[in-house]
Amino acid sequence: MNLKFQFAPIFILILLAFGCSDDDTKVTPSDDHSAIIANIADDVIISTYADLDAKAGSLLTSLNTLEASPTAPNLEAARQAWRDARRPWELSEGFLYGPVDTKGLDPSMDSWPVNQTDLDNVLASSNNLTKEYLDGLDGTLKGFHTIEYLLFGATGEKLVGDFTTRQFEYLSASGESLKGITEQLYQSWLASAGNFVKNFKEAGTSASIYPSQKAVLEEITNGLVAISDEVANGKINEPFSQQNLTLEESRFSANSKADFADNIRSVQNIWLGTHFNTNGSGMSALISAKNPSLDDKVKQEIAEAIIAIESIEGTFTSAIFNSPSTVQTAQQAVRKLLDTLQSEVLPVVSNL
Amino acid sequence: MKKSTFTLLALAILLVMACKKESDSLPTPDPSEINAGGETTVFGTFSALFEQPAPNMSADETNLHALGDIGFEATFVTAPSEVNPGLGPFFNNTSCASCHGRNGRSPFPDDASDLGGLLIRISVPGAGPHGGPLSVPGYGGQLQQRAIYNTQPEAEVEFQWEELTKTLADGETVTLRKPIFTLKNGYDGNLPSNVMISPRIASQVIGLGLFEAISEADILSFVDENDVNGDGISGKANYVFDEKKQQMALGRFGWKASQPTLEQQSAAAFVEDMGVTSPLFPNENCVGNPACDGTADDPEISQETLHAATFYTQSLGVPARRNVDDTQVRKGKALFQKAGCDGCHRASFTTAQHPDGLAFLSNQKIYPYTDLLLHDMGEGLADNRPDYAANGQEWRTAPLWGIGLTPIINGHSNFLHDGRANSLLEAVLWHGGEAEKSRQVVEKMSKQDREALLVFLGSL
Repeated sequence: MNLKFQFAPIFILILLAFGCSDDDTKVTPSDDHSAIIANIADDVIISTYADLDAKAGSLLTSLNTLEASPTAPNLEAARQAWRDARRPWELSEGFLYGPVDTKGLDPSMDSWPVNQTDLDNVLASSNNLTKEYLDGLDGTLKGFHTIEYLLFGATGEKLVGDFTTRQFEYLSASGESLKGITEQLYQSWLASAGNFVKNFKEAGTSASIYPSQKAVLEEITNGLVAISDEVANGKINEPFSQQNLTLEESRFSANSKADFADNIRSVQNIWLGTHFNTNGSGMSALISAKNPSLDDKVKQEIAEAIIAIESIEGTFTSAIFNSPSTVQTAQQAVRKLLDTLQSEVLPVVSNL
Repeated sequence: MKKSTFTLLALAILLVMACKKESDSLPTPDPSEINAGGETTVFGTFSALFEQPAPNMSADETNLHALGDIGFEATFVTAPSEVNPGLGPFFNNTSCASCHGRNGRSPFPDDASDLGGLLIRISVPGAGPHGGPLSVPGYGGQLQQRAIYNTQPEAEVEFQWEELTKTLADGETVTLRKPIFTLKNGYDGNLPSNVMISPRIASQVIGLGLFEAISEADILSFVDENDVNGDGISGKANYVFDEKKQQMALGRFGWKASQPTLEQQSAAAFVEDMGVTSPLFPNENCVGNPACDGTADDPEISQETLHAATFYTQSLGVPARRNVDDTQVRKGKALFQKAGCDGCHRASFTTAQHPDGLAFLSNQKIYPYTDLLLHDMGEGLADNRPDYAANGQEWRTAPLWGIGLTPIINGHSNFLHDGRANSLLEAVLWHGGEAEKSRQVVEKMSKQDREALLVFLGSL
C-alpha cells in the first residue's frame, strides 16, 4: 500500500465529520441554564412580587382601618404595614427589569421626591379622593413615599391628632392605588396572565425577547450590578457626600438602613436562588461551577455589606453627621461587592 | 490507492462541496462593524445596555457622566420644594428618564390621557425670528398637556387610528395604523384653527456625542438637494438657530434635525418638556399665558447641572452589533444595500475632533446607519408642519444603531417619529417619498428575503 494513501480513510472520516458543521450553536447540557433561570424567575422574582402584592393588600387594610378609626395604635399598625410592604419592594430592586420598568410601574410606586406643594393643594381641594383619582395623578403624588410622608410627617413625629380627615382619605386612596399597581406587576410576570416569565423560560426561541439564555443571565447579573451601584453611589452617597438630609430617600420613616440592607438581600436572593427559605439554584450555582472561589467571595461580600449597613450607628439620618465612619464602612462594603460583580462576575457571564 | 478508498474520498469531497452554503457567496462582514460606536462600544444583550457609559472615558469624565446620570434621572416637582423644584407650571413629563426610559425610545401611548413620552409640537403658518416655526400666540411651539395642580393645562390631546392594509407581493397582508391627533379645550378658547401639529415620540439617547463629532463637511458631502445624481434621493441639510453662538448652524438632533448641539437639545427639553429653566433658556415655556408662573426662581437648574446632563447624553456607550457573521444577517445586509436603504441610512462615518474637545468621541469609526440629513418621506408620514428648512414631508434619517434591542430595552417595537409602527416591517412599509423605490423593493421581496432583511435590522 502506498504510504501516501494509507491515512486516506481517516482523512475522509475527518472531512465527513467536520465538513457540514452547523453554524447554529447547540445547547449542550453544560450550556443549559434553564433550571437556574426558571428558579430565579419563579422562586425569587415572582415570589417576591407575590409577597409585595400581599403586603400592599395588608397596608391598604391598615390604612382603611386608620381612616375608620384614627387611633394611636392604628397609626402605629399602619406605619408597620408600610414598613412591611416596603420590604418586598426593596427586595425586588435587584431585578428592576421587565414590566416594572417597561410598563412604567416603578414611578407609580416609588417616585421620589414627593411633590409636597401639589399634595397640599390637592388636600386643600374638594376633589373626590378615590382610587381612580389617585391612579390619574403623577407618581410624585402617590406610592410609597407619598404614603410615607403622610403617615410619618416631615419630621417623623406626626401624631394621630395631627392628621386631617382629607389626609386619612388620601392615604386610603393611595393604598388602594398602590395595591392596584402591585397586583398588575405580579400578574404581568405570571404565565397565566401577562406572561413576561416566558421571556426568561423560553429564551433563545422566537417566543422570547431574549435571543439566548446568556442574554437572560446578563440581564439578571446587570440587575445586581445596578442595585449595588444605586445603594453605594446613589442612596448612600447623595445625602452623605453632600451632607444633605433632604436627599435621603426614606427619611420620613427613618427606614433607610432597612431599605439598603433589603436591597443587598435582593442581590443575595438572586445569588442563592432563594426567597422565603425556598431551596433552589441561583447565580451561585452558575458561578460556583466555573469559579468556586469567586462564588465564595460574592457570598461573603454580600454578607459583609448587609452587616456593615446594619452596623450604621442609629438612624442613617443621624449617622450622616454623628457617625460618618460607620456610613463610610457600609458604603465601602457595598462598593466592594459592586466591584466584584462588575469586574469578576460579569466577565464570566459575558463569556458563557 | 484502493479503488474503494478513492471512491470514498471523491464522495466525501462532493458531499462537502454540496453543503457549501449561500453564506459563502455573501460579502464577508467587516469585523470593525461589530464595534458600532468605535471605542465607545458596549457589549451584551440586556435592558441596561443603553445606560452604560462609554468605556473609553477618563476617570474624571466617568465621574461627570455619573453626575449627569443623576440629573437625567431626577424627578422634578412643583416649587417650592427642598429637592428638585421647578417643574412646570406646564409640562409634558417630570424627568428626562420618564420619556427616554432606559435611555431608549418611548412606546406609543395606550391612552390619550397619558401621553407618556409623546409630545406635540405646534405652530401657525409663517416663520419665526430665525426662520424656525412660528409660535402659537399664548401657547408657544410645543403643547404641554399637563400642568401643576390648580393650573389648567394648555389643551387636551385626542387621537384616533386610521388603518390601511397593505398586501405584499407574496400575499402577506400587513395592517398599518396612523394616529390622527386633535387638540381640544385650549385654555383660553383661542387655539387657532390653523394650528399645525407634529407628534414626536421620545427617541433613544445613545451615541449622540458621536454625532456632534462628525465633521460638517462629511455630512454636507451627502447633500444632493436637487438630486443631481438622479438616484431619487436628495438629502438636505437643516440650518437652525444656535442660541449660544447666536447664529445659524447645521441641525443634527431631533426628528427634523432642528437642534444644533446637545446642550441646546438638552436645555430645550428641560424647559419645553418639563418647564425647567436653565441659563441657556431662562424663560418659562408659557410666555403669553396669564397662568405662567411669576416665581423669580429662574434659572431653575444651574449651568453645572445642564452641563452634566448634556455630558451624560454625549457619553453613553453604543451597543455592539450582534451576530454579524450569521448567514441571515449577512443576507439581510446585502438586501438592505441592494434595495438602496443605505442611500439615506448610511452605514458608517469616521468622526473628526469633537467640538468641545472630547477625545473619547474623536476619530472613531462608527456605524450609525444615518446621514443626519432631511429627506422627503412622502405623504403617509408627513406632519405638514415645517421646521426651519425641513418641510412638512421631510424628516431626518433616523439612526438605526441599537434599533434591534428595542424590545429588550423598552419592551415594545414601536418605531417612527410618532411611534405608530408596531414592528420594524411596519416602519419600513411607511417609507415613501425618496424611499418609495426602496419600499417597493421590500414589498416585492420573497418572504425569506424579507425575513433576512428584518433579521439584519434586528442585529443593529
